[in-house]
Amino acid sequence: MKKHHNNPDSCTACTVCIAHCPVTAATNQFRGPKMVGPALERMRLSQEDVEPSLEYCSNCKNCDMSCPSGVPISTLNMLARAKLFKTRKHSKRDYILSHGEQAAKLAAMMPFGAALANMGMDMSRGILKMIGISDKAPLPPYAATSFIKQFKALRQQSYPDKVVFYPGCFINYNDPKVGMDFVAVMQANQYEVIVESDLVCCGSPLVVNGFLDEAEANAKINIEILKKWTDQGIPVITCCTSCGLMLKQEYQELFHIEGVEEYAKHLYDAGEFLLELYDKGRLNTDFGTLNEQYMYHAPCHLRAQGMGLPGLELLEMIPGLKVTNVDAGCCGISGNYGFKEDKYDIAMKIGTPLFTKLKESGLSTAVSECGTCRLQIAHGAQVKTLHPMTLVRRSYEAKKK
Amino acid sequence: MRENDVIVIGGGLSGLVAAAVAAQSGKKVLLLTLGAGTLTIGGGIVDVLGYGDEGVSLATPRAGLLEVGPEHPYKKIGPVAIEESIQFFKGICAAEGYPYLGSLDEMQWIPTAAGTLKPTCLVPKTMDTTQLNTAKNVVVLGFESLKDFYPHLITKNFKNIPGFQDKNYEMVMIDPGLADGRDVTALDVARWLDTPEGLQDCTEKMRHVLTPGSVVIIPPVLGTRPNYAIADSLAQALQCTFVETAAVPPSITGLRLRTMLLSYVKKLGVRIVEQAAVARSIVENGKCTAVVTAGIDRERTYYAKAFVLANGGFYGGGLVAEPGQVIEPIFNLPVVAPEDHGLWANPDLFSNKPQPFAQIGIAVDEKMRPLDGDGQVVLTNVFIAGRNLQGYDFCFEKSGNGVALASGYQAAMSMDREIK
Repeated sequence: MKKHHNNPDSCTACTVCIAHCPVTAATNQFRGPKMVGPALERMRLSQEDVEPSLEYCSNCKNCDMSCPSGVPISTLNMLARAKLFKTRKHSKRDYILSHGEQAAKLAAMMPFGAALANMGMDMSRGILKMIGISDKAPLPPYAATSFIKQFKALRQQSYPDKVVFYPGCFINYNDPKVGMDFVAVMQANQYEVIVESDLVCCGSPLVVNGFLDEAEANAKINIEILKKWTDQGIPVITCCTSCGLMLKQEYQELFHIEGVEEYAKHLYDAGEFLLELYDKGRLNTDFGTLNEQYMYHAPCHLRAQGMGLPGLELLEMIPGLKVTNVDAGCCGISGNYGFKEDKYDIAMKIGTPLFTKLKESGLSTAVSECGTCRLQIAHGAQVKTLHPMTLVRRSYEAKKK
Repeated sequence: MRENDVIVIGGGLSGLVAAAVAAQSGKKVLLLTLGAGTLTIGGGIVDVLGYGDEGVSLATPRAGLLEVGPEHPYKKIGPVAIEESIQFFKGICAAEGYPYLGSLDEMQWIPTAAGTLKPTCLVPKTMDTTQLNTAKNVVVLGFESLKDFYPHLITKNFKNIPGFQDKNYEMVMIDPGLADGRDVTALDVARWLDTPEGLQDCTEKMRHVLTPGSVVIIPPVLGTRPNYAIADSLAQALQCTFVETAAVPPSITGLRLRTMLLSYVKKLGVRIVEQAAVARSIVENGKCTAVVTAGIDRERTYYAKAFVLANGGFYGGGLVAEPGQVIEPIFNLPVVAPEDHGLWANPDLFSNKPQPFAQIGIAVDEKMRPLDGDGQVVLTNVFIAGRNLQGYDFCFEKSGNGVALASGYQAAMSMDREIK
């Protein structure tokens, strides 16, 4: 597990990954993780081998999680995709979906830019469809004020214990409330939160569309900034599970960047960090009662991180709160996969068992860490969604009242 | 500090059974898994014992239990606990709405996709051969474009099997309409049948080729979920008896079994950490206090009062072979292996003798606690279950899931008595 060398020969062709791949279950156009990943990688090592169904892999990581032999199958697929685009041009669609950060930055620079961009997005759905983005896809609107701006306007109480928060694009531009809730939770635990404004997109949306060189450039920028803190032993925390997976695991699997192993030791999911505080007797457990009931969806990219479901475990500590793990597999969206015109139906089909169970629960709101999971769940199950940190903050505030 | 009563390492059959036993007795259980285990590769049936030491088929699994050698896990576990483990397993299956058939007093000979018969003990209802054994006329039904299930091969080989020689065979094919895509596996056909439209389509297509009252051998395609809804629907609509064969992976019957066991342990509140690569343990005064996982980012420590080690053998990573020695990497437990590694393998593959390497493993006492060379218990709160046990060649004697079930059960039961 620790030493990742992407060796296709560790695969014994046992087919467990095929049985656990959500895309394979949803479409017979994908030849499946075993074939497209390790089996064809052996070919690709000796000659160019173009496998048309490679584009169907959503990088959800269920194959990696099921593999009894520790083969990073999805990473082999992402590397193969990158190799393919060394000699081919990307589509406009894939460019746009991979570079959401640039568009968001532009919108954030203009006065009322977010509102205008949102209006523009509504009007341009026809154009987006023409280039291959589904007009039904749950594209997220921009927030009126980015997280970074809101954070800078916030006056924090200073504490000797500090953490660095990596917001990621979705929290920064689309869902800043999650970031602000996280900061409030840390303040309630007598931590001061540091946010570096020069951090860039983690690279996850770039990797899945084969922009590997750009993703590596982003990785280097982020690691350089974050290492300054992790070298001092200051933890770096994410609330987005795909950012977290990228920063700690995929950087190591995909790139060879010096010092990445040492830096990765200090990266935490917000829920996991708070549980570790609990283990040390350092967590503020002065939770107020929330007499509420929710279903919880575990993002695949959280499950892949080998730390269980810390967000759920944390919510179980809040008195009155009843949270049930819906446990119905992948939601289908996988970052920007489900936005694509030719993948939208597959993504919706993958998510159907989850949507069905959520609807059957009769509850109006679902909880999940991943931003795009929340978009897909809101779209597919017609429910509202929350990040666990929002509930933790509300519980602390309920106590104060 | 979050502490568990019990940590089970390994999410295969032995680990899931141990977790179920412990959780059912009210313990707080944490299950650490790495990969989905081998249930989805194996056949979803529980072989207890099919052949004796000389490769001679046994009359019943119970008859074989009396003859196993002193190092065999069954000898340590004993007939009472083995019987209890089978009842426990059948209880889970019944509670989950997917009951299994069979007992120690009856050998089930089930058909395989290669046209052979294989001895086993516990099978899902869809592998019940009662009707098949007495039928004069048998239909072998294949699916167009499905790999690894060829009715003519099955029929041809059945003609050589006593008891199956004199039956009349009819071969029929139906088209699931899956040719437009990748190579078709039984999993694809099962998923087609999972959908209401697919089930209806399949029923109509079968109606054209099957006469009511037929006994029909089919690949394992009767749905991916652990229930008999699809089997019952087809049987009722067509008035036929369907018998699923054992087949090559991905195993649909194994997938059903895994789904069922996971569902059961989750209902009992067992917490599961996936991708948990347990690398080492923390031991104080002959007791384990914690195990440590090596994630790609950092180590994580998990505390408990007792531990079940059910992480497999060489294939699962529970045992690691190095030149001249075999290592159990988490607790560094003694592993019993021939000193001369030239003796690990019997190079004569078809000699009809067990393989020495298959019998390499951890020696245990009757409570499934690990022993050293002098027969002394090495760790008092660690219990061993499944493929890492010494003294059996599951492939040769057909005992894999049986040992997993009985040892998982015994490990959790004796642990339960220890930590009360």
